[in-house]
Amino acid sequence: MTQPQGTVQLPPQLSTIAPEVDAMYYAIYWISVASFVVIVGAMLYFSYKYRRRPGHEAKPAGHATVLEITWTVAPIFLLAWLFHAGFVTYMHGVVAPDNARDVRVRGMQWNWEFEHEGGVIDELNVLKVPVGHPVRLIMSSSDVLHSVFIPAFRVKRDVVPGMYTTLWFEATHLTEERTCERDADCPEAHFCGRADANGVRTCALPLFCAEYCGAPQGIQDSAGRNTNHSTMLAEVRVVSQEAYDRFLEEGPPAPAHCDAAEDPAACWGEGLFSQNGCNACHSVDGSRAPGPTWQGLWGSTRQFADGSSGVADENYIRESILQPQAKIVTGYSGVNMPPYRFSDRQIDAIIAYMRTLSE
Amino acid sequence: MTVEAGTAIPSSSSHAEEPNYLTHETGLKSWLFTLDHKRIGLMYLVSVLLMFFLGGVMALLVRTELLFAGETLMEADTYNKIFTLHGAIMVFLFIIPAIPGAIGNFFLPIMLGAKDVAFPRLNLLSFYIYCAGTVLALVAIVVGSVDTGWTFYTPYSTRADSSVIWMTGAAFVLGFSSILTGVNFISTVHKMRAPGLHWKRLPLFIWGIYATSIVQVLATPVLAITLFLLIMEKTLSVGVFDPALGGDPVLFQHFFWFYSHPAVYIMILPGMAIVNELIATFSHRKIFGYMFVAMSSLGLGLVGFLVWAHHMFTSGMSEYATMVFSALTFLVAIPSGVKIFNWVATLYEGSISFLSPMLYGLSFLVLFTIGGVTGLFLATLATDIHLHDTYFVVAHFHYVMVGGTVFGFVGGLHYWWPKMTGKMYDEKLAKVSWFLVFVGFNVTFLSQFVMGSQGMPRRYYDYLDQFQPLHMASSGGAYILGLGFIIMSFMFVKSLRSGAKAPRNPWASAGYEWMTTTPPHPHNFEETPVMTRGPYDYHLCTEEELWDGFDEDFQPSKKAKA
Repeated sequence: MTQPQGTVQLPPQLSTIAPEVDAMYYAIYWISVASFVVIVGAMLYFSYKYRRRPGHEAKPAGHATVLEITWTVAPIFLLAWLFHAGFVTYMHGVVAPDNARDVRVRGMQWNWEFEHEGGVIDELNVLKVPVGHPVRLIMSSSDVLHSVFIPAFRVKRDVVPGMYTTLWFEATHLTEERTCERDADCPEAHFCGRADANGVRTCALPLFCAEYCGAPQGIQDSAGRNTNHSTMLAEVRVVSQEAYDRFLEEGPPAPAHCDAAEDPAACWGEGLFSQNGCNACHSVDGSRAPGPTWQGLWGSTRQFADGSSGVADENYIRESILQPQAKIVTGYSGVNMPPYRFSDRQIDAIIAYMRTLSE
Repeated sequence: MTVEAGTAIPSSSSHAEEPNYLTHETGLKSWLFTLDHKRIGLMYLVSVLLMFFLGGVMALLVRTELLFAGETLMEADTYNKIFTLHGAIMVFLFIIPAIPGAIGNFFLPIMLGAKDVAFPRLNLLSFYIYCAGTVLALVAIVVGSVDTGWTFYTPYSTRADSSVIWMTGAAFVLGFSSILTGVNFISTVHKMRAPGLHWKRLPLFIWGIYATSIVQVLATPVLAITLFLLIMEKTLSVGVFDPALGGDPVLFQHFFWFYSHPAVYIMILPGMAIVNELIATFSHRKIFGYMFVAMSSLGLGLVGFLVWAHHMFTSGMSEYATMVFSALTFLVAIPSGVKIFNWVATLYEGSISFLSPMLYGLSFLVLFTIGGVTGLFLATLATDIHLHDTYFVVAHFHYVMVGGTVFGFVGGLHYWWPKMTGKMYDEKLAKVSWFLVFVGFNVTFLSQFVMGSQGMPRRYYDYLDQFQPLHMASSGGAYILGLGFIIMSFMFVKSLRSGAKAPRNPWASAGYEWMTTTPPHPHNFEETPVMTRGPYDYHLCTEEELWDGFDEDFQPSKKAKA
């Protein structure tokens, strides 16, 4: 699929709403050009024709009520049309289709976090979306105002602390998987994303923060990314619907910083433990908490409320995460842990982390 | 018809001995405690020009940082403070007080044929309140290191420290200066007009300043309410704007723009007011559709109160509110269009001379038209969503605020300079600086339109490589613009030091302010003038009124006369 080209004024149209918005843009543009040519043309022509010169006198200005009323009233029709057309297109961009897939967006100084269906949290500042299917962003902020702006999709909405805002779009073109070293290597309106664990960078569409959110005081922005308002920049990757479903199934890959860890899987598991809030109910040092501590849990024999018992092995842990109510450890009957959706690889990582707590 | 008007005109031979407001009293005290609106106007002029210089330096620092992607001059944090300084200084300390405070103070009473404003002591007080507010703002900005942008959006602005309260406090104090000047001008226009100066003869400059004054008096108190709520929140933890306390950050935006949108008209109406005088004088013709133009000023003032939320289409307010504010915003186009059409129609069958003030007047028409039509993109909901908070918006409001108000102000400064200082300036240098300012301005901001529609967000310290060429063009334009202003400053300083003596009426204008001596008499007119014709009735002017009273060598207008 070839990427559409942008114009001098507008980036390429990569969403379903973009052609509609651009049609409006160009309608206003040509109205503007016409008005400008008439007004400035008349100004220049009169300035030349009636320039001050010997033998030329100004004529007193008369009254022309009909003319005045004409140019007062006539623009109203044009303006009413502009308002109406703009509003209709705007509403198309506001009301999401019923089958839209939800992505929760959390803005924070100075990162974006994206949580997909089933609680799959992608790596920071990466938004994967399926091509040809509407996606609704449900957005919140944990600190100050931010704003999600994806120029190629022609969408923007402020992200406001204390309330949810939403926007939706349907991407029409796959993002080409192209490695790059700088923005110039990428297709039009794309940029060269952050390096992954192997130092490879790939092209993506920019998602800007459009509402000013400051900078840390006195910290030098040498790395160039995600340290202030202008670098609160996420990579939008439009993938096929199959790839998106696979992503939801498998979850995101291990974070890059774990590649260097002694036990990469345990490193990932530790991250998931805190990112998903497991630590709210499970301690890792044996202390009492709403749920059983993870210290020494792995491999121990569990006594269950129904009188049976079992060894905490892979299958037990997996079941306890996906179906927490299947086996209740004695003493924890009143606790209702919700089911968590993790990919197999993530569960493996959590188990790897748990094992380190029993060594 | 013109006999009585003629009697008010001093003869050309005697004006060397006339007392004038600059020299009839001397010493520092005679300035600091003066009640003369002309001297207060000059003090305002010096202050606002100083602020314009400061704000301009900030602008050049911003453009230099953006010359290249990544760090060029300063860190992100410093950059944020600099662009905040640029915005806050230019808006609160320069543009809002510039025309009413400096030129309005000086010429409003003269154009009314009055001896002074209605309340001269109040006038001096409002100048000192302006000074106090300026000091407060500069201290708040420097000590409190405000980095919020000039809009102070919560909760960013209330998180770190209380500097936003000091800053809003400064705006509050400055607001009082605005309100008092407004009250003074409204009273003066209603009560102090010379005999024969009825409402239909009122110069359009006065109509514009009058409309501005009404907006100032009505809108500015809202700023006080906002400040009060901010203080309540900070000191008593009453949740108003901070969601952590159960407040609503969008409410702050409503409050802020409820003042600051009318403030946009406080800025642009005086610019339009000056352009009326420039076009009339240099076309030798009454402004076409005089009453429509006068009423359109009041119309803009009124509509300006109803459109504040068009700054907030993406803010998360309800779609109904969005719809209503979009519809109301389009109404602004009508009075603005009426003005533009009438100004162009004034040129028709005029006698147009292209002296430097007129070049600014004509530039205003071109630039304000661009500023106006680009407003259509932003009033239309579908396109505003894409363009909001991008460089497109930055370019749009600079076309209105700089291309409109500043070009009007600078044009007015050229136009009334001889009357204010008694000195002529170097017309060639004035034209060179106009050319640089005009070209530099367009290069700076036309490139920003394209950047914005391509998706470059505003208030960015760093940017993607794709925007590099246009950022360089924009910075290059800013340097040309800066050079233009440097040459202009040199030109004005040269005029003060060695400028030729200005005649009574160097532009051959029928305006009332040119009937008095240059520089004006301490009491404006030796005796109360009686207005027997309108300020644009060129066909009713005598030869002497228009063309006499100056030495031909210094008079470019006269050379073109048959």
